[in-house]
Amino acid sequence: MGADKDLAVHCRGVLKTYGTGEAMVTALQGVDLEVRQGELMMLVGPSGCGKTTLISVMAGILDQSDGDCRVFGQDLMHLRNHAKLAFRARNIGFVFQAYNLLPTLTAAENVTVPLLINGMGRKEALKKAEQVLEQVGLGARTRSLPSQLSGGQQQRVAIARAIIHEPRLIVCDEPTSALDHETGHKVMELLKGIALRRDRTLVIVTHDARIFEFADRIAEMDDGRVIRIVTNSSQLH
Amino acid sequence: MYRIALKMLMGDRGKYLGIIMGLTFASLIMTQQPAIFVGLIMRSYSFITDLGLPDIWVMDPEVQWVDDIKPLQDTELYRVRGVAGVAWAMPLYKGLLKARLPNGMFQTCIVVGLDDATLVGGPPRMVEGRLADLRRADAVIIDIDGAREKLSQPPAVPGGKRIELKIGDTLELNDHRAVIAGFSKNTRTILSQPVLYTTYSRAKQFAPRERKMLSFILAKAKPGEALADLTRRIRTTTGLAAYSREEFMGVTFRYFLKNTGIPINFGVSVMLGFIVGAAIAGQTFYSFTRENLRQFGVLKAMGTSNWTLLRMILLQATLVGMIGYGLGVGLTSLFGWAMRNTILAFKFPWYLLLFSGIGVTLICAFAALISIRRVITLEPAVVFKS
Amino acid sequence: MFTRYLLPLLALAGFLFGLYMVVTGNKPTPVAEPVAQPAQAPFESFIAGSGLVEARSENIAIGTPLPGVVTRVAVKAGERVKAGQILFELDDREARAEEGVRRAATARARAGVEEAAASLKEAAILLQLAESVDDRRAISLEELERRRNAHAIARSRLDSAKAQVGQAEAELTAVRTTLVRLRVRALIDGEVLKVNVHPGEFAMAGVTNLPLLVLGNLTELRIRVDIDENDAWRFRKEAKAVAYLRGNRDLKTELSFAYVEPYVIPKRSLTGDSTERVDTRVLQVLYRFDPSQLAAYVGQQMDVFIEAPDMIPQTAADGPPDTRVLP
Repeated sequence: MGADKDLAVHCRGVLKTYGTGEAMVTALQGVDLEVRQGELMMLVGPSGCGKTTLISVMAGILDQSDGDCRVFGQDLMHLRNHAKLAFRARNIGFVFQAYNLLPTLTAAENVTVPLLINGMGRKEALKKAEQVLEQVGLGARTRSLPSQLSGGQQQRVAIARAIIHEPRLIVCDEPTSALDHETGHKVMELLKGIALRRDRTLVIVTHDARIFEFADRIAEMDDGRVIRIVTNSSQLH
Repeated sequence: MYRIALKMLMGDRGKYLGIIMGLTFASLIMTQQPAIFVGLIMRSYSFITDLGLPDIWVMDPEVQWVDDIKPLQDTELYRVRGVAGVAWAMPLYKGLLKARLPNGMFQTCIVVGLDDATLVGGPPRMVEGRLADLRRADAVIIDIDGAREKLSQPPAVPGGKRIELKIGDTLELNDHRAVIAGFSKNTRTILSQPVLYTTYSRAKQFAPRERKMLSFILAKAKPGEALADLTRRIRTTTGLAAYSREEFMGVTFRYFLKNTGIPINFGVSVMLGFIVGAAIAGQTFYSFTRENLRQFGVLKAMGTSNWTLLRMILLQATLVGMIGYGLGVGLTSLFGWAMRNTILAFKFPWYLLLFSGIGVTLICAFAALISIRRVITLEPAVVFKS
Repeated sequence: MFTRYLLPLLALAGFLFGLYMVVTGNKPTPVAEPVAQPAQAPFESFIAGSGLVEARSENIAIGTPLPGVVTRVAVKAGERVKAGQILFELDDREARAEEGVRRAATARARAGVEEAAASLKEAAILLQLAESVDDRRAISLEELERRRNAHAIARSRLDSAKAQVGQAEAELTAVRTTLVRLRVRALIDGEVLKVNVHPGEFAMAGVTNLPLLVLGNLTELRIRVDIDENDAWRFRKEAKAVAYLRGNRDLKTELSFAYVEPYVIPKRSLTGDSTERVDTRVLQVLYRFDPSQLAAYVGQQMDVFIEAPDMIPQTAADGPPDTRVLP
């Protein structure tokens, strides 16, 4: 139990299949993985190895077919729908490859969304969003629409959105693959500098080798399994 | 979250305006077409509505609607007067006569003959002159629309104003002289013939000789008398048909429903408006939702409940519905207002507001329903697929 | 800005305008008040009929026995006349000339009598002279016979002349009668209701469409009520009856029963049109009323209500017609 307490995510034998019968596809074939709190864990591997499915299960937006996955000790699969939503809203932050900002909302408004979902008032949320945008270096662009921002700026807004409600786990899906090297680097610095804290865990799915250096640990996956976990990027390849 | 829903909706201007245009169009068609229909139907019995004083119309049992005149014997009037519960009963002549204008042209007019002594059944409003002026020799009162249009004469000089009739002008009705004593404002009749009021005995002189001349008997019930009882009593006592005003309107209305294609035509265009409106608005709304599916997915992943999403979509649908409805009703009213002094039949009763409101609500509900279904079944995991 | 505020505002304005149109466009049509309130029966159940005011003596249409041009109208409408009073005179020049001729003829006939009497006297003297001669030789028998004959002829001539006087006198009397007949006189005491002749007009003898003069006794007015033959069975002589003046229902009078004409006649329409249309038959009942009670004129139409039992035929008409109300 003592060890469990320090774990952000604890997966044992997580199995995920899509479809049934002949058309059944197995995405995860029994994943065992422990992510510690305050750690930046990267999931790498070839396309179709199950990285995205795994973080979906971790984030509680997908239920595994078998096995056990606990996030901060909570078995999400067996939570009631409502409680699961509340858990997600409070504890999980998301960063996407395609940013997924709401195109009709300004940067500040986009950032407020997690607060609003958690029931905060609009004015208060906006104030807080401006602070966070300041932190990510976009204090001057709070009123800009996503379409008026560059890719890097948009991703920074997305990071601000992912951290504003102080989640304990942030899942990132290819946060840098749509960005050039330099911008990707800056985004990773930001993630590591602001998002990562002792009580906040980052799980980043990527196959962008240029950012492996930011990881505390790297889990390499293939064919629905974690094949090895390294602590130094140089250990890969 | 509702604010976000609205921003999502309004942010996509093209789609937003598209949805509203579709709904506006649907609401316009669903209000304006029935308004014209109601206007036409009301004109079919405008003669009855314009004649507010009597409670009961007595006529030949074979009469099918208000312009279907089957005259009665003059003494039937006294038989109706003799029915218990009748406060008074007055004769009314209604017929079509050709009026010859001073320039020699002919125009068919509706001639209405009122009881000589009381002039019961006069026009609802007088524009010029008084009803009592009918007591003057050869006097007739003409409805102002008829006088300005059908009974006016072509201009004396090309491009000039049409020559309108004035008080004191004479007409020839079936070789009898008729002097214009006043102008009234009537609700238009369905065929828009000019209406000419005169006394009963004078109308009988104007009209070609017939054995029977009495078109209708207008009766008033004594206070406290139930109309249904009284009409039944008149029917059994005299063997004539007796209707209350509303019943007679209903008889005329049903005649139109049964014997003319007007209601079907309008029904078809209202249906078309509904279907086209529903198609445009529903389709645009749905494609709007589909386009934003990813964003709904993001919201869903971030912990927004289905219930909240449902309310967001309902709010969006309600807003576009209300705006489209308001604009449609406004355009209809504008149309009616612009056409108020023309020959166009347009009547806008309160139940049309309700009718198009229900129509727009149905369209929005339909559009929202298919969108909601899509969003509810959406797996939030899609957000990780690029 | 446009999409966010203007559109909803426009929509709201449109809806409000729609409401405005609904409210203003659907005001009930005003009800035209009658110029005069219609008469209402004072009875629970009654027979209604139209009545025509007439004089007690009925309305006497005066005619002339002889046609001729009117030379003088001696009375005015509304004048009271006594029996025997001259009403109007016709052109009598021809009759007067005839009278002169006849008078002259009478004079001549009288002169003829005198002449005949003188002849007779002469014949008588001659006869007497001859008869007084006794000597048959002095006068022949033939002469005597001739004188006798002459005397007889003279006597019959006198008779004839006397008869001619009688004839001439009779002819004179006839012309004088004609003269009297050219003056039309009232036969009863009454009031002149209508004068349709004027000096210079030609008056036709016999029944004319338009009476030359209408006379009536107005000491009491009668009202002739037409009752539809379908309602005739409900009529009771002793029933109360009230008549209302057309045009003002406050002017009314109680009626008392006079008599009923027990002969159902075709109804005449009261429009005054010369070609009357007959559509039903009516029972005519006469009521009287005091002219001082109600200022009614002869010939005026009135609405009459006669109290009657309310007896609806028990056999109801075949099924009530469609009485559904508009949706």
